[in-house]
Amino acid sequence: MERTPSQTVGPFFHEALRWRDGHRVAFAEPGEDVVLVGRMFDGVGAPVGDALVETWQQSPTGNTPASGKGGNPHGFARVETNKDGTFRIETRMPGGSAPHLDVTIVARGLLKPLRTRVYLAPELAVRADPAMKPIADSPRLATLVARTEGGVYHWEVRLQGDGETVFFAA
Amino acid sequence: MNDLSNRPDVDPPYDYPDYGSTRHRAPRQQLVKLPAGALDVPGPLVPRGFVRDGDNDLTLHGKSAPLGEKMVLAGRLLDDSGRPIRDSLVEIWQANSSGRYDHPGDTHDAPLDPNFKGIGRTFTDDDGWYRFVTIRPGAYPWGNHAFAWRPQHIHFSLLGNAPVQRLITQMYFPGDPLLDFDPVYQSVADESARRRMISMLQLDTGIEGVALGYRFDIVLAGARATPLGI
Repeated sequence: MERTPSQTVGPFFHEALRWRDGHRVAFAEPGEDVVLVGRMFDGVGAPVGDALVETWQQSPTGNTPASGKGGNPHGFARVETNKDGTFRIETRMPGGSAPHLDVTIVARGLLKPLRTRVYLAPELAVRADPAMKPIADSPRLATLVARTEGGVYHWEVRLQGDGETVFFAA
Repeated sequence: MNDLSNRPDVDPPYDYPDYGSTRHRAPRQQLVKLPAGALDVPGPLVPRGFVRDGDNDLTLHGKSAPLGEKMVLAGRLLDDSGRPIRDSLVEIWQANSSGRYDHPGDTHDAPLDPNFKGIGRTFTDDDGWYRFVTIRPGAYPWGNHAFAWRPQHIHFSLLGNAPVQRLITQMYFPGDPLLDFDPVYQSVADESARRRMISMLQLDTGIEGVALGYRFDIVLAGARATPLGI
């Protein structure tokens, strides 16, 4: 069967897609608490204040998170960007040798989602991740690596132009 | 077995000048193709308690019935092999019958309806069916170009069983003359693909003497990963 095409999420999704504690990722397992603070910019350097960011990741022990008994799905975050383009996700360090969150971005002006990834790992470990083989030698790979500062991971997303974030084909 | 690389590209491009907001948001670099399977993982799995009884009836949010033409909107969520996608979250949002969203960012000078929020959610059943009760949304002007009006539409958000199935789309109504002029709808190049975003009038899907019926099936990409919880 032929797929249904994608359309933009538009500017009026907020209350409909807002989940209680969507920014706080639930897990069945204990682990290291981590905070990711992102900031999103468009092609002229203006903050993107009306995007929705979703992340999906492995559990602290490296498993695919199962469903919880209630509340939000485990391992998954959904958060709106603020007017200044920032967003904040409270989660636990994913398992694996190159821990990362798979990221989906939708917004007004995006007719289909952008898919990317943020690594909470040193750049050397990211370059060694087999999944990153196509860009292992590219300076652009650095756009997928968050920097730590005061126990918080910081990540800039640039949708277009100088320093454009690497986005993946579906 | 689906080969994701050979998936026909029915989606619109990122860069579509007729839709002005794409101008500074469309990536300019080539998308990077990852090794097979890198992104084709299952999940997330939304607990059933996430949706409450009545969340699929948008006409129950107020003290009395909302203004407008009441309608039932039902259809099936399928993958590209025609298999039903079960127990999957469906979220919708829409303007009221005057073409106004209950959203602080909507400045259209049309009345809000105190009895209509325009938000619904439900799960698909074992055969992939979903069903909402709502009212037909109005068309509304927007600032994209002179005399620009969005055709009547309902926004859909689907999680599917896997991130590769994630879809956000819009459902349109048959025979809407504004479709010919709408850059969001027209951004899908293939005509038959565009038509898959138009619902079908199906009277017996409605409620006799109460509500019109519209049928809208949604087909998501195939996922190789086995869904969680199976």
